[in-house]
Amino acid sequence: MALVRRAVDTPPQAPDTDPRLLIAALTDADADRRRRAALALGAEPTAVPALLERVAVEEDAAVREAVLTVLAARDEAEVATGLAVHLRSDDAALRTAVVEALAAMPNGVAPLLPQLVLDPDHDVRILTAMVMADLASPEAVRWLVEMVSADRHPNVVASAVDALLPLAGAEHRALLQAVGERFRDDPFLRFTIDAALPSLDG
Amino acid sequence: MNMTVTSGDSGTEGGFVLSDTDFERFREFFYRRTGIQFAPSKRYFVDKRVGACIQDSGEGDFASWFSSIRLGIRPELVQKMINQLTVNETYFLREDYQFDSLLNSVLPSVMTQRARTGQTGPVRILSLPCSTGEEPYSIALRLLEEWPLIDSVDVEIHAADIDTNVLAHAQRGIYGTRSLQRVPPTWLARHFAPTGGGYHQISADIRSAISFAQINITDTEQMRSFEMFDVIFCRNVLIYFDELSSRRAAENLYGALRPGGYLFLGHSESMSRISPIFAPCRLPEGLVYQRPTTGVTR
Repeated sequence: MALVRRAVDTPPQAPDTDPRLLIAALTDADADRRRRAALALGAEPTAVPALLERVAVEEDAAVREAVLTVLAARDEAEVATGLAVHLRSDDAALRTAVVEALAAMPNGVAPLLPQLVLDPDHDVRILTAMVMADLASPEAVRWLVEMVSADRHPNVVASAVDALLPLAGAEHRALLQAVGERFRDDPFLRFTIDAALPSLDG
Repeated sequence: MNMTVTSGDSGTEGGFVLSDTDFERFREFFYRRTGIQFAPSKRYFVDKRVGACIQDSGEGDFASWFSSIRLGIRPELVQKMINQLTVNETYFLREDYQFDSLLNSVLPSVMTQRARTGQTGPVRILSLPCSTGEEPYSIALRLLEEWPLIDSVDVEIHAADIDTNVLAHAQRGIYGTRSLQRVPPTWLARHFAPTGGGYHQISADIRSAISFAQINITDTEQMRSFEMFDVIFCRNVLIYFDELSSRRAAENLYGALRPGGYLFLGHSESMSRISPIFAPCRLPEGLVYQRPTTGVTR
């Protein structure tokens, strides 16, 4: 028979371990080398600036995902801050990728929420609500409530309501009713609130 | 309080029943978290298992239990929830349609790629996690019994798991009736030997043909030893990981595949909710994921 056994390979070549070489490889012409370098830099704190820099310029989606995965694993405010700047990127794919990375960083993102929910750009606030929709942090509920109750932009409030609803209970009824009143001329938001209210009591 | 106790006349015999709203909330959350979607027909199953989770957690009601999970307050409850709501049983030829896909669609495509690129050497298949060995042995059996090219093409099957106990079981290759229930009698006679008590041991030829290794799929450094696989089976494990671990595992699976290589996930799992780096590939037998042959420009 032609089933053949071979022991698990040892790595085909010794991995670069020198952070300087790995950081240099982030700009290699070969995408797979860039990707491997990014993953190998996961445990290297000095590589964070280079990785953050790579997020903005990397053209290969697989390399960018690797960079974002490594950065998301460093669940710290400094890294989250470096990623959050891309919430205002013109590149929709980058914005989406960054939202997903930030949603995996509860510790890093929580300290940024007070600023993000008040960002002057309503698109950034909408994306912030999307981050909070998947953020495993009690802070998310607090700031979603803040957004729902205080934000003036209907699309932001609608996004925050969407993110809040899976966690909302009877205690949020008054909040949502008030929003419905505040945006009574906005048919979409009214529809969202009207559809949500009956579900709040379980 | 979002959970109620029925009077027993609704078929639940006094068990916990989620309100319609909470069922929908849970269903949506579980889908986002694991890719598994419960049809309304599974309502009784979900009620029962979620009720068990809540009781076991010590949380007073659904709202409290759900918040503890959703907000990461008690992350240990997530694993328990997934264990309760998924079937962990493994047996030979489970989800057989994926082995059909391997034989009928994926391997022909792999052979075409090899002819085009001039690639030589064995076709490489990885089963990860392999648990107690039923999956890699099933692959071996299907190839030996049904793949017409098996006499002319070398195939390496590698199997790995994080758990050394299940690896030891896999290497012994001894299985009971329940595990072997789907193995055709002729295959059983040809490739297994009875060991008594209803147990059978898979042949030494097949056992010795498969390489077993201990590995953590989320450990990038460990996973570097796996590369250039044509096909990977990674079924029913990503659902257990949190978002970050899923992303890491996806990166490592990508790195373990040859460009153009194929990835099988469990039937209810979805890579698209984890990472966009694989290309979904709809085959007649179902969905499989493929590492693109060239870089993906964003």
